[in-house]
Amino acid sequence: MINLAVKIGNIQFKNPVTIASGTFGYVKPYTKASDLKKLGAFVPKTITLKKRVGNPLPRIVETASGMINAIGIENEGLDYFLQNKLSSLESLGIPLIVSISASSNDEFMILAKALDAKASVSAIELNLSCPNLANKKLIAQDAAATAELVRQIRGAVTKPLIAKLSPNVTDISEIALAAQDAGADAVSLVNTFMAMAVDIQRRKPVLGNITGGLSGPAIKPIALKMVYDVKRRVQIPILAMGGIMSAEDALEFLITGATMVAIGTASFINPKAPLEILEGIKKYMKAHKMSDIHKLIGSLKI
Amino acid sequence: MIDFQQKYTIVANKKVAGTLYQLSLDAPTLVRKVLPGQFMHIRVNDGLKPFLRRPFSIYRALKTVDILYDIVGAGTRMLSEKKKGERVDCLGPLGTPFTLPPKNVKQVVLIAGGVGVAPFLALTDILKKKNYKLILLYGARSKAQIFPMKDFKENGCQVHVATDDGSIGAKGWVSVLFPKIKRDMSTYLYTCGPRPMLACVQAFAKEKHLEGQASLEEVMACGVGACLGCSTKTTHGYKTVCHDGPVFDLSDIIF
Ligand SMILES: Cc1cc2nc3c(=O)[nH]c(=O)nc-3n(C[C@H](O)[C@H](O)[C@H](O)COP(=O)(O)OP(=O)(O)OC[C@H]3O[C@@H](n4cnc5c(N)ncnc54)[C@H](O)[C@@H]3O)c2cc1C
Ligand SMILES: Cc1cc2nc3c(=O)[nH]c(=O)nc-3n(C[C@H](O)[C@H](O)[C@H](O)COP(=O)(O)O)c2cc1C
Ligand code: FES
Repeated sequence: MINLAVKIGNIQFKNPVTIASGTFGYVKPYTKASDLKKLGAFVPKTITLKKRVGNPLPRIVETASGMINAIGIENEGLDYFLQNKLSSLESLGIPLIVSISASSNDEFMILAKALDAKASVSAIELNLSCPNLANKKLIAQDAAATAELVRQIRGAVTKPLIAKLSPNVTDISEIALAAQDAGADAVSLVNTFMAMAVDIQRRKPVLGNITGGLSGPAIKPIALKMVYDVKRRVQIPILAMGGIMSAEDALEFLITGATMVAIGTASFINPKAPLEILEGIKKYMKAHKMSDIHKLIGSLKI
Repeated sequence: MIDFQQKYTIVANKKVAGTLYQLSLDAPTLVRKVLPGQFMHIRVNDGLKPFLRRPFSIYRALKTVDILYDIVGAGTRMLSEKKKGERVDCLGPLGTPFTLPPKNVKQVVLIAGGVGVAPFLALTDILKKKNYKLILLYGARSKAQIFPMKDFKENGCQVHVATDDGSIGAKGWVSVLFPKIKRDMSTYLYTCGPRPMLACVQAFAKEKHLEGQASLEEVMACGVGACLGCSTKTTHGYKTVCHDGPVFDLSDIIF
């Protein structure tokens, strides 16, 4: 038997593979995917307090080994989520990590408290890093603001808190440290890299929002280095993502120190990617005669 | 496993005219499942280039599942280089299909621009069984892009062609063919093609008090309604082309 179980706060996940927020919707499109139950956790698309219509069109563009998106957290808002989405997510039967975002700390608080009250929510991910919200500065670009928000929410909720960080910073480990010291149970990294594309025929930005966030294999090596930097400074678990397409990619992150990995853009190309990656991790552990995932996590030899 | 993802073997992949190709996939289980207006989301290369899948309407699903496609960029070029016997990774059938015309309708007019004609063959395979008068107005760049309309004619379609350069049929956009629509019987429209053309059809429909459906195109990532990347503006707010569409009520689309 291989032990794949990992923990964030007091919550146990049967394995370290999950979904990156915003890349699997609220599961409905994939309801036939009963095998999703095999994953360690599910993370639905970020929700906000009020409905958000999202950004102007077009919202995505393909780039070399990746894509840029500017969805703008289109979602129906908290009440709709609780009434119409949560039950189908519950039926998956795996831990739910619900991602939230807001334009003020007060709104974050309302969202966090509402989710804290739901038995079926295992943990709350604070999306401090969406590049598509037209805010001047992201919370995750400011260590003090990150600490302040995490501290406030920490004081009011009991479920594990995961701070989702932005790679669009000078030193991500500083922000991670601030989140840890303010009481976050884990950090997830990375969100997308701010990016843009230009239509040279029309001499206009391709995206309606002008800029967006780059994801996919193009960002993987940079995301990996950020996990490395954060791992050296913080003790709380890291939920890592950024261009993971294969089990080999996921293993790089685990070896570097990630406790869990999230699969994002890869699912667009191969909806089976999360499950194949989970199988690939098991296969690797068998081949390397490892019986416990903790032998793998952070096993990087320097 | 996620059952809408399958690899299908290519039975044929042939040029039909100009830069238009027809791909036939051996997909017996799919043939029975697909509905006209739905699409397949195809991974044209196993590597990272191109990165995303490419969406294509289902052209026909009789013995094989067929796609009619135009080479417009690197992805479609790569698809055209695939050989008989190779397997392609597909998601599908995806999207909301066409619905049948309302009860009183006697005449159905299909208005297509370029490869936008693709979803209409499968549609006429169904409509021909219902005794409608079927008319296809088809606009293309030039004669070289016009493929034999035999299959449409066999389905009972009266075909009218327009080309941008007038090399065959009427000269100009497909809209020059609108006068061909005799409105002595209750008429319903289906349209697919470039957005400016669709806008033109919508304006025409509004003026003549006609109803219809349009199939839209938008750049896609997931193809299943998960990423909200392919949204389009409608009178009911943003809707995903891949999941809520690609077929929309013609009057609902905001151009
Ligand atoms: C629902 C639907 C059905 C379609 N049916 C057909 C069909 O039956 N036959 C056919 O030839 N084409 C069809 N298209 C368009 C087809 O998807 C594009 O021509 C194709 O993706 C172009 O890829 P490329 O790499 O050759 O071009 P590139 O221009 O190099 O592609 C760059 C990016 O833009 C996207 N893109 C480019 N043009 C379009 C477009 N018109 N619509 C959506 N995305 C686009 C590509 O997918 C890719 O992400 C359909 C599109 C949609 C959304
Ligand atoms: C289309 C799209 C939508 C996304 N939406 C969200 C979101 O709502 N909330 C969030 O925290 N991250 C969102 N992300 C970021 C991903 O969760 C992930 O952090 C990022 O894409 C990097 O991982 P990847 O390269 O594996 O996709 C989105 C990414 C994409 C591509
Ligand atoms: S392509 Fe992802 S929602 Fe349509």
